[in-house]
Amino acid sequence: MRTGHYKESLGQLVALTDSPTVKAWSIGLVVVLLAAPFAIGNYGLTLMVSALIAVIGAVGLNMLTGTTGLISLGQAGFLAVGAYTNAILLADFGWPVWLSLPAAGIAAAIVSIIVGIPSLRLKGLYLAITTLAFAFIINHIILYAEWLTHGPNGVFVTGATLFDIDLQKGKPLYYLTLGITILTILAALNISRTRIGRAWMAIRDHDIAARVMGIDLVRYKLLAFMCSSFIVGIAGALISLQIRFVNIDVFALILSIEALAIIILGGLGSIAGAVLGAVFLSFLPEAIRLFFTAFVDPNSTFYTSYVFEIRGVVYGVVIVVFLRFVPDGLIGLWRNVRKYWSNWPLAY
Amino acid sequence: MDFFLLLISTGLVSGAAYGLIAMGFALIYKATGVVNFAHGELVMLTAYISFSLASAFDLSFFPLMALTIPISMAIGLALERIFIRPMLGEPIFAIVMVTVGLAVILRGVTIMIWGPDPFNATAGLPTGVIEIGSIPFYPAQLYMIGALAVMTLLAWLFLRFSRLGIAMRAVAANETAALLVGISVSRIHAFAWMFSSAIASVAGVLFAANFKLAPDLWFQGLKSFPAVILGGMDSVIGAALAGLIIGVVENLFQGYVGQGLREISGFIVIIIVLMVRPYGLFGSREIERV
Amino acid sequence: MRKHIIAITAALMLSTTAYAAEPGVTDTEIKVGDVNIMTGPASFIGRAVAVGSKIAAAEINAAGGVNGRKIVVVTEDDGYIPARSFQALTKLIEVDGIFALNGTSGTANVLAMMPLITENNLPTVVTTAPNELVYKPVRPSVFTVGASYSDAFYGQLKYIHDNLVKEGGVYGLIRQDDDFGGAIEHGYERAVKEFGLKDAMRLRYKKGTANFAAEMAQMKQAGVNVLANGGIIAGAANILGEARKLGMDMQVAGVWSEDMPPSVNLSAPAGYDYLVADYVALNGPAVDAFLEKAKQFASADEIAAINRYTYITYVGLKVLANAMAQCGQDLTRACTIEKLKATNGFDAGGLTAPISFDNEQQLSGTAVAVYQLNAKDKTFKALTDFVEY
Repeated sequence: MRTGHYKESLGQLVALTDSPTVKAWSIGLVVVLLAAPFAIGNYGLTLMVSALIAVIGAVGLNMLTGTTGLISLGQAGFLAVGAYTNAILLADFGWPVWLSLPAAGIAAAIVSIIVGIPSLRLKGLYLAITTLAFAFIINHIILYAEWLTHGPNGVFVTGATLFDIDLQKGKPLYYLTLGITILTILAALNISRTRIGRAWMAIRDHDIAARVMGIDLVRYKLLAFMCSSFIVGIAGALISLQIRFVNIDVFALILSIEALAIIILGGLGSIAGAVLGAVFLSFLPEAIRLFFTAFVDPNSTFYTSYVFEIRGVVYGVVIVVFLRFVPDGLIGLWRNVRKYWSNWPLAY
Repeated sequence: MDFFLLLISTGLVSGAAYGLIAMGFALIYKATGVVNFAHGELVMLTAYISFSLASAFDLSFFPLMALTIPISMAIGLALERIFIRPMLGEPIFAIVMVTVGLAVILRGVTIMIWGPDPFNATAGLPTGVIEIGSIPFYPAQLYMIGALAVMTLLAWLFLRFSRLGIAMRAVAANETAALLVGISVSRIHAFAWMFSSAIASVAGVLFAANFKLAPDLWFQGLKSFPAVILGGMDSVIGAALAGLIIGVVENLFQGYVGQGLREISGFIVIIIVLMVRPYGLFGSREIERV
Repeated sequence: MRKHIIAITAALMLSTTAYAAEPGVTDTEIKVGDVNIMTGPASFIGRAVAVGSKIAAAEINAAGGVNGRKIVVVTEDDGYIPARSFQALTKLIEVDGIFALNGTSGTANVLAMMPLITENNLPTVVTTAPNELVYKPVRPSVFTVGASYSDAFYGQLKYIHDNLVKEGGVYGLIRQDDDFGGAIEHGYERAVKEFGLKDAMRLRYKKGTANFAAEMAQMKQAGVNVLANGGIIAGAANILGEARKLGMDMQVAGVWSEDMPPSVNLSAPAGYDYLVADYVALNGPAVDAFLEKAKQFASADEIAAINRYTYITYVGLKVLANAMAQCGQDLTRACTIEKLKATNGFDAGGLTAPISFDNEQQLSGTAVAVYQLNAKDKTFKALTDFVEY
């Protein structure tokens, strides 16, 4: 049992963790993820890539909603901006992929400033609906700016190669996404421990008190929008690389609501929660499908005519039941398990 | 001039639809603080139920509503008891997400029971064209505007003069204080859901009568959000008025500026209004103690 | 180091494709995939497609299958969402191991699946999304059946101009603001240019719009008496309802989705005898014969769900099976694609014009017939035969 924290250098003070156990488990997880493609087939890889992209998007949204307390329903718009920027730069302008990915993030960040400025005075649901409105408007602009975005025809994304490896297929795409995910999580963890992260948390907890203490609300709120959208833009760009075709139909408004569901199911305000929530919700439809193929008789006619609808309903039921019993989200569940484990046989 | 009057008149119709749906949202938010993301699906479900009733019994409009409204109130009560009541005391985000999950369930259940085909749901209303002045109307459209007027009046009277309505306002203002005064907060929550479902059923039946009954009717719930926000999230009357404003603005935009700007015109309006009045037109300002 | 990365990656990628010699084919069965809209409001299309596949497969299997192998249709849902189509097709290819693809959902969906189709050289018959983007540029393993919306509208407007409104026609167009609407405007534009029509108003609306009052008021103000109605299902019905309210007297040309029974039920009360153009037969001996077959292989619920999408999917699977049969016992994807490409004059039982894929775009069924609705008894009358426009 640890009895004290002795830090002898600045490096130790700012390190993310000083516990060798945490370090070991983290490295173990990364090794497993690196080795995963050799054990699972192509379909599994596609699922993992989708899950990792969801993780990136969730970490980005968490920066805005969980850490700063600004509820945003406009993620579909930022994803679309990131995806379209990446697609257009790759396909129409022939930029290399290591430039177009950051450019996608920067484009989304710039758009988010435009979204953020009218939203500075708004709170709670008013802010959420305003961001929803902006997502609608972004979709509309993308559709009508045909000279740039090919309008409703969509853009085929090809040509993402790095050192002659095609980054849009199978394992290269997986490793690219994994790398960006790790970088994003590290960046998010680190930002939340700096002055900026603390300012965000102050704004979330009580923004008037934060202002009184000298935190410039305008600056930090816009910064939150920008950082969050940069990450979400990169997630959108990765979506465009995976699906290889972008169209505004791909970025329907339902994505924003799903993104919020990921954050809340994982546990609002925690980065680990965002990761867990993203993984959980990405694999849930697949888990439901496997459950149905294993346990339900495939010959009853009611089932066959409505099997897909039933799976959709089960998805909703799982969310409701989960929140009923674990309202603090997956991270709350984890914390309870950990406390129980370390305190047993004592109660507290 | 005729063109202008046509736009205004039909804008009032679609605005009335937005307003009715928005009133339901606002009522639940006012009394319970929960944003009910499943409201659009509730509108759709009650519209389908009334369609089945109308086909089975061949009723005209008012008997149909007399049958549908109690059933939808029962459904609202059941949903509140099953899904929301167990979440009492949990963080508000969790309750909102439960409504999102509930929305998914209701969407799937509706298609499972009634199938994905769209229907003509005339709700027992006559279908001939009526002329008022030089503007033609369908009876369903007039009923929609009338329903909004009636519902707004009822809501105003209820919240102002009836014991239950005043109790609801007390719960909305401060739950703890309401409990101290002896108001049963959980009963008020149940009533809020029941009345919201009643309004939803009126909205659903009339919307289907005007614009056909299809399993994508739930999307109108999302489209009514601007009306809720514009009116102020906890103002029921404000929601009705804001709905009318948005309906008319949308039509005028489409008619004079044109080219698919109908949808986003509503959103642009609310962005501009919110920059000036961050709590909507009639919303109450949240007073924060520092 | 870089060479090592390339070599290892190449070896890994090769190793994953080497085993896929001929997936989906065993001695007793052939797996045909179907990515379909099985959930959500558009699922009445998916349902009809599933019935078409089922009837075609059952009929072929009852006659002994394809060279002794039975056809098994594997369906996966995409809910009309392109990202899910991509995932669904990945699952069908990787987990179920399909041999060919017959159901392809909507336009954006099939385009999202296109990279996977070309990568796996998957023989694909596209019958429900005949959009130009699908066959231009042409992909070697993709065969499209269906006329474009552009030709369908051109044919109808031509008929109206030649026979119904010979002079004094004021034309208007209302369409969705996506690629589907764009194709309709293309056909409208062509008719306007060719016949020198008076083009009074072109309007766009966003998908999901229910209230068309402003649009129809604009049409009335412009004096339109021939409407190219690019709305579908409830949208089309609401457009016609508004027009009836405004007392507009006009000829209407519509999308082929309006010949489906649910759409007719919605639109008929407005009283307009609107036209549709379709590359599938809507009535006549071919359809009667098909319904007879359907009674043998499908349940009553499924028969009630039959519409034009059923016919076209049935034809698609029959053409695919025909090509597979010509390959004999040694059934490979490459051989199937070759035989599909050589298909000429395949008799679709009169449900469409004969199918021929031996052209550059591997496109067929482009002839449309124009029908007119009788709003009172909700039946269609054929005005023209299948004509190429």
